[in-house]
Amino acid sequence: MSRVVPTSGSKLLYFFFVCISGLFLYIDLNYKSFEGIKNFYQSFVISSKYLVNKATVEPIIFLYEVTKDKSDLINENKKLKLELDKSYISNFIISNDSKFFADDEAIKNFLKLNNIEEVFYLAKLQYFDAEMYLCCSKHRAFIQTYNSNNNHIGSPVVNQDGIIGQIIYGNSLSEVLLLTDIDHVLPVVSGDHFCNAKGSGKPETIICKYNNKLWQQKVAIGQNFYSSGMGGIYPKGILVGKVKEIREVEENFTEFEIHLISNPLASNIVGILESL
Amino acid sequence: MRNIGATKFLIIIFIANIIESLLAPQLINFYLSIPVTFLIFSFAIFRSSKKLNPLLAFSCGLYVDLISSSPFGLNAGIFTIMSYAISIYANTFKLFSYIQICIFFGISTVFYVGFKNLIMNLENFSYLLLFVSFLINILLFLLLSMLRYYFPSMSIRYD
Repeated sequence: MSRVVPTSGSKLLYFFFVCISGLFLYIDLNYKSFEGIKNFYQSFVISSKYLVNKATVEPIIFLYEVTKDKSDLINENKKLKLELDKSYISNFIISNDSKFFADDEAIKNFLKLNNIEEVFYLAKLQYFDAEMYLCCSKHRAFIQTYNSNNNHIGSPVVNQDGIIGQIIYGNSLSEVLLLTDIDHVLPVVSGDHFCNAKGSGKPETIICKYNNKLWQQKVAIGQNFYSSGMGGIYPKGILVGKVKEIREVEENFTEFEIHLISNPLASNIVGILESL
Repeated sequence: MRNIGATKFLIIIFIANIIESLLAPQLINFYLSIPVTFLIFSFAIFRSSKKLNPLLAFSCGLYVDLISSSPFGLNAGIFTIMSYAISIYANTFKLFSYIQICIFFGISTVFYVGFKNLIMNLENFSYLLLFVSFLINILLFLLLSMLRYYFPSMSIRYD
């Protein structure tokens, strides 16, 4: 069925409504007569939005917040644990600050010179083969820093007890050569007695071998040995360990074992010192 | 859209008004205005097989004035005029091709945008806006009319 074209009556009606529209427009523009209706509508919309929000969105958000609180608490706990680990390492650095730096000015100059905000970077132990550490001679650990992506090759690695090794390879993970690895050599000193302590391949033990004709000072069980700083990697004067065993190995050569004070198994959070 | 119920139609107009208010601030950066509410109303009138009632067009226009915060009577008048124009040409449209219908609606859109700007936004009246809107709207209608090739159920059937 085709649509009927407007009759004269319909046309009149159209004309009438167009005139009414024009009149409305004139009244609204000049006298703002319909402001009340518009304001009422707007307030109705706003009230409806508010009520709908109260009835639907807010309860859902509340439920979400309740469930989220638990995970927030867990995250907060992790964060606090990390801060605690960080403070342990800071304590180590602070308690040995005179060994790392001559005075406060030296610390400031060092930080300023190298654009460093902190003297160490916090890192997490990612992989450590404890079995290899206890049985064999290759003692390595793999760590990853939290914030810094800098290349830390050659930097000493410490935990809350003391020095544990140095970084020898760095990419996404950094490989740490531990003091006890047989490839590692740490120059140590006690009084006037200097010695290059090699990794023994045994946990927490390094070995020093010296010519007793050259170094005539006697070494005693329980004697403290410190880092000498002669290798250019570790700072001078950090306590490394105590002598636990002395033996004659060859004619004129004496060997003694140093029991390290730091244990890489003590913590899974370590600090990487800026290369000094 | 064929013989749609009044309530459903008012809801569609309401949603179209929201879409238009969201689109307008983005489109104006490109000197473009697409009056979605007006176009949906025009399309509904165009597709309706019933005899058109001027009171319906007038009421619908007043409703749009209310929800879009326009001066009362602006959309009411334009919707009534549009309804009248479509009624007059209802049978002539059957002879028109799709492109002619698209041009008709493009011109209507420009008339609507221009008249609305004259009343509400005279200080920023722009011929460029009208020209760009004219071209883009015609293009848009042509694209929409091509949908019938892909969705045959959408094609217009004359009784």
